[in-house]
Amino acid sequence: MNFERFQNQSRLYVIGALESDEVEEFEKARKKFGKKAEDFITECYALHEAFALSLRPAKASAAIKDRLMTMVRDRKQA
Amino acid sequence: MHRKAKKQERRKGKRRKRRFSAPPQLEPGAPTDLELMQAIQAEDPDALSQLYDRYNGILKALILRVIHNEAEADDLLQEIFMEIWNQAKNFSAQKGKPLGWMVTLARRRAIDGLRKKQAYVRAEQRLQNEVEQQPDAWVHNATEEEIVLGDTRVVIRKVINGLPPAQQQAIDLAFFRGMSQREIAAKTNTPLGTVKTRLELGLKKIYDGLKELKDEL
Repeated sequence: MNFERFQNQSRLYVIGALESDEVEEFEKARKKFGKKAEDFITECYALHEAFALSLRPAKASAAIKDRLMTMVRDRKQA
Repeated sequence: MHRKAKKQERRKGKRRKRRFSAPPQLEPGAPTDLELMQAIQAEDPDALSQLYDRYNGILKALILRVIHNEAEADDLLQEIFMEIWNQAKNFSAQKGKPLGWMVTLARRRAIDGLRKKQAYVRAEQRLQNEVEQQPDAWVHNATEEEIVLGDTRVVIRKVINGLPPAQQQAIDLAFFRGMSQREIAAKTNTPLGTVKTRLELGLKKIYDGLKELKDEL
């Protein structure tokens, strides 16, 4: 697998869209390209952020935050 | 530099800043996301509270996009922020930004939730209804206010909306529904190779668009 192919596969990998038979080959290439591969995969995770930011923010119920903070503070005290 | 040219350069800079401001815009002196994550790692509940205020809307939208149920999305949102609190020690700034980490975590939880729930079929039906009402949930006409603000969200959406509908659909099913290429092929009655090409081309275009956006920042 050349690096351009690896880049294409990386973008599929980060969104979990690689088929199981492709994952093995991808992992081999990942090892072969080493740090360059890891850096590229890290960059690809920006896609996650972009997809989330493409959505119109939704309003959460006000009670959620109260419940969350109560749980966090209780856990911290325990 | 000539005074007029300098003025134009300053204006250009201002325009660029306004157009590509990173969401959400922070008040002067407000802690950065990374500072908040570090405070959460040090078990400061107030930092979690601030992070919640900053990102609950984005994460809730993401969860809703996956599970299509308001009450379940609220519950899951609470669980996800609890997980952010519990797993904060696993966050590493070298591996990306806090928002990226949170979105990855939220997406995984939402898709897991969708798969586990028997409500999957019901969500499928609701999604179908939504798709019929609105051909593509990503296809959204930006309001005038959004265009004026020109924030990152609008720019990203423009990049996504610039893709052919078949590519958008393939990415939507993979990212928001957690479907494999084979599942997408079956659902859309499309050859597997075509699904793969659509995903690869679409993701590359979005990736390149994001790079351009980053370079302009």
